[in-house]
Amino acid sequence: MIQIEHLDKQYGVFTALVDINLTVLAGEFIAILGPSGCGKTTLLKLLAGFIKPTAGQIMLNGELVGSAHSLKPPEKRNLGMVFQSFALWPHMTVEEHILFPLKHHRFAEAKRKQDQRARVDTVLQMVGLESLKKRYPSELSGGQGQRVALARAIAPRPSILLMDEPLSALDAELRIEMRKEIQTIHRQTGTTVVYVTHDQGEALAMADRIVVMNQGRVEQVDSPETIYTRPKSVFVSRFVGKSNVMEGQWISTDTFMPKGFPSVQWKDLGVSLELKRQNVYPIRPEQWKLEEPSPGQLNGKVLFAQFQGNEVHYTVSVEEQLLTIYSPIYEKRYEPGNEVSVRLRIPANLLLRI
Amino acid sequence: MLPKHQETLRKVRNTSSFSFSSIVKNGWAILGFLMIIFIFLLPVIRLIWLSITSEGELSLQLYLEVLTAPATWPVIKNTVWVVVFSSLLAIGMGVGMAWVMAYVNIRGKKWMNLFIFLPFIVPSYITTLAWVQFFGNNGPIDYLLESFPLGSISAPNLYSIQGIIFVLGISHYPLVYLFTVDVFRKIPRDLEQAANVSGASKRTVFLKIIFPMTLPGIAGGGLLAFLSNLDNFGIPAFLGIPANIRVLSTYIYEQIIGYGPSAFARASVLSVFLGIIALIGTLIQWFVVRKSNVNETAKRDMEPRYYLSPIWRSVAEIGIWSFLLVSSLVPFIVMAATSFIKAYGVSFKWENLSLKNYRYLLFEDQKVMQAVGNSLSLALITLVICAVVGTFLAYLRFKRNSITMRIVEMILTIPYALPGTVLALCMILMWVQPILGWKPGVYGTIWILLIAYITRFLVLQLRGSLTAFTQIDPTMEEAAQTAGASHLAKWSRILLPLLLPGVIGGALLVGLTALTELTVSSLLWSSGAETIGVVIFSFEQAGYSTYSTAFSSLIVLAILIGGVIFMWMENVWKKRVLRHHDSN
Repeated sequence: MIQIEHLDKQYGVFTALVDINLTVLAGEFIAILGPSGCGKTTLLKLLAGFIKPTAGQIMLNGELVGSAHSLKPPEKRNLGMVFQSFALWPHMTVEEHILFPLKHHRFAEAKRKQDQRARVDTVLQMVGLESLKKRYPSELSGGQGQRVALARAIAPRPSILLMDEPLSALDAELRIEMRKEIQTIHRQTGTTVVYVTHDQGEALAMADRIVVMNQGRVEQVDSPETIYTRPKSVFVSRFVGKSNVMEGQWISTDTFMPKGFPSVQWKDLGVSLELKRQNVYPIRPEQWKLEEPSPGQLNGKVLFAQFQGNEVHYTVSVEEQLLTIYSPIYEKRYEPGNEVSVRLRIPANLLLRI
Repeated sequence: MLPKHQETLRKVRNTSSFSFSSIVKNGWAILGFLMIIFIFLLPVIRLIWLSITSEGELSLQLYLEVLTAPATWPVIKNTVWVVVFSSLLAIGMGVGMAWVMAYVNIRGKKWMNLFIFLPFIVPSYITTLAWVQFFGNNGPIDYLLESFPLGSISAPNLYSIQGIIFVLGISHYPLVYLFTVDVFRKIPRDLEQAANVSGASKRTVFLKIIFPMTLPGIAGGGLLAFLSNLDNFGIPAFLGIPANIRVLSTYIYEQIIGYGPSAFARASVLSVFLGIIALIGTLIQWFVVRKSNVNETAKRDMEPRYYLSPIWRSVAEIGIWSFLLVSSLVPFIVMAATSFIKAYGVSFKWENLSLKNYRYLLFEDQKVMQAVGNSLSLALITLVICAVVGTFLAYLRFKRNSITMRIVEMILTIPYALPGTVLALCMILMWVQPILGWKPGVYGTIWILLIAYITRFLVLQLRGSLTAFTQIDPTMEEAAQTAGASHLAKWSRILLPLLLPGVIGGALLVGLTALTELTVSSLLWSSGAETIGVVIFSFEQAGYSTYSTAFSSLIVLAILIGGVIFMWMENVWKKRVLRHHDSN
């Protein structure tokens, strides 16, 4: 279990983290999601113990490991880490990589030689690298290197596994494949995972809960579905849901009137209280639909229509505002230059909204 | 890839808070800093001090005396001529060779590279001896001209300004080559192609794209050659002194060993001149290299960019090989052959050959074996001390990158950037009486040589180790930590194995340079503390050319054997350990 309380981190005049509070339960898979420079890597380094907080504290499994006054170094914490660059040691074989934490990690249980050998085999089997035991890092492909890094991190059965954008060095197809492997390993080991990423697809697909960060602050902590469908801030709605944030007026708790269109009223399809208070309505691209223009509606002109295979991505300009709209390919198509009306797509079963 | 604040992160991590242990640590740091100033900077300050005082008072009297002395100006004129023209020669040969090796599709580049480096690893005074034999009375050129007389043409006389320029140029062109060949390779091919598709001809591409981009590299390499030419003592000493041609470095040497009433004082003034030129050159060189447009991390592109037809390619290859063989191999073979001649001056015939010279060196003259022993132990001790201290300082410089450590690096650079004769004078002035009332008595013993070598070469190790540190990805260390490694395990299993090649490379450079050092030794040696360079030099000065060539041949042989062993070990290391260099 990880408890983070009122954590601050400053580098000289630069503030990297402000008042972070977070509790991660044992066995949970937490994704820390945010754009580059949001402080997510700093948070991970604080958890690992590479750096010391400026204020606040970090407790791992009930023990204070980091505060402004004390720092327990990484080698004394019960954790494993997978690095963005894999950080494989060029002078060691795959087998030696996995033996290394078994020999040195103070929480590793396998103390006898044959137990360690057995553990190496088990871990290599888990990541599917039994046959590459004697290889050096230079003789591995990107995906194999990633698996070695993963195997090295989980070998000593750490109670916490930290992952720093572990898939960003891989190509697109391999990334999707590795997601499943990481989930499998999480299920098999039951370890707590803290997974840093800037790819919302990865976070949504794997995490039990997502921590969205922006400019050194936590914006929202919730399950992937809540983060996606009920963002609590404009930033989250834009970063995770790619929403168009419409300004206007919530005239009642479930009716919204967009600015400049007095004759249009939208039902609440799942907007958080926080955003209602700000009098905005975030609308995700798949929540729009295009129709023939009609008076009083949000009428505009198609600027781009990009065929994507499973859907068509439109960019429509309405009163100087550019809206992004994803529509299924079986619906009526529009060409750039067409006049259209943009409407809210009301789900057949309103109860489906969350 | 890393966000900027992670840079600051490393710094912040090391700022210590005020506590008892940090005060103790700071105490050590201050002590270390003062020691570095004492050992590496104070000697230079004392030299300057000596030059600007006269009878205990500040005055520029000495400068006036030296500048008005009629003997000074020809020396300065000679120095300028020799240094400028030998640098131009080195730049021309180095850049030309670099361009061909980087861009043209000739074969056997690996072997060519080896031959380019040969004059570089052999000490320049031995190269000089080899060239003297090559152009000498019994040399191949003389023999050819006797067999096929070409009117009044005779073998060139190396004991002349032109001779000095020639040997300096050929000894230092590898420096320029080394500096520029990677600059050429690192210019991305796309830049050329982008110019081509924009309509530029090959000529325009070279003038507007390639040349401006290599200019900083050429300037950097050229300045390095300039500094080496200015610093060099062996070549003008072997060729200039017999012909009464003096340059600043040999003139200072003569002043110091001349022991006139004001010899040291006059020498100090000349040394300040020479030192200032050298330090300015070093600063410009730093500045130019830092300004270099070519990205350090840009990939080296080893593929040729200009394809010659098979015939022209063969012509180019034959031309390059002829040049390399004549410049790097034949003189040494001639020198080796000369070393078997019974007496200097007799012709190279079977009945005149013997092993007499070698017998003399190895068994009869005890001075020789003693010098080998001295040089070997000096080189070994210098190597070990520099490896430990230099690597430790490199670690501090790498971890903190503080202003203090940058100043330390600059201070350590000064003794290396200063010409050897100047440093030798600094050492004498410093170590006769380091502080008032303390006369350690090292001057006149072998210890002053050891101190001088360490002072001069420590920066080489610092640079080598620093490069090794910067090439290790910080995550290597972090991965070891998160895998639970203690400090001991982290260093012994991860960091040291990764650092070792760089540290060993730096240490070998220090050892080899110290082993065959001449300039500093020629002023600091004493009876019983001769070094290899000093013995060869004194044989040559006394006219025993057969002994000096034989001794030099032995040294070259030893260096070659050492080089082969080193390359073999490096190969084994790469195959065994650092395979990623080949595949990535």
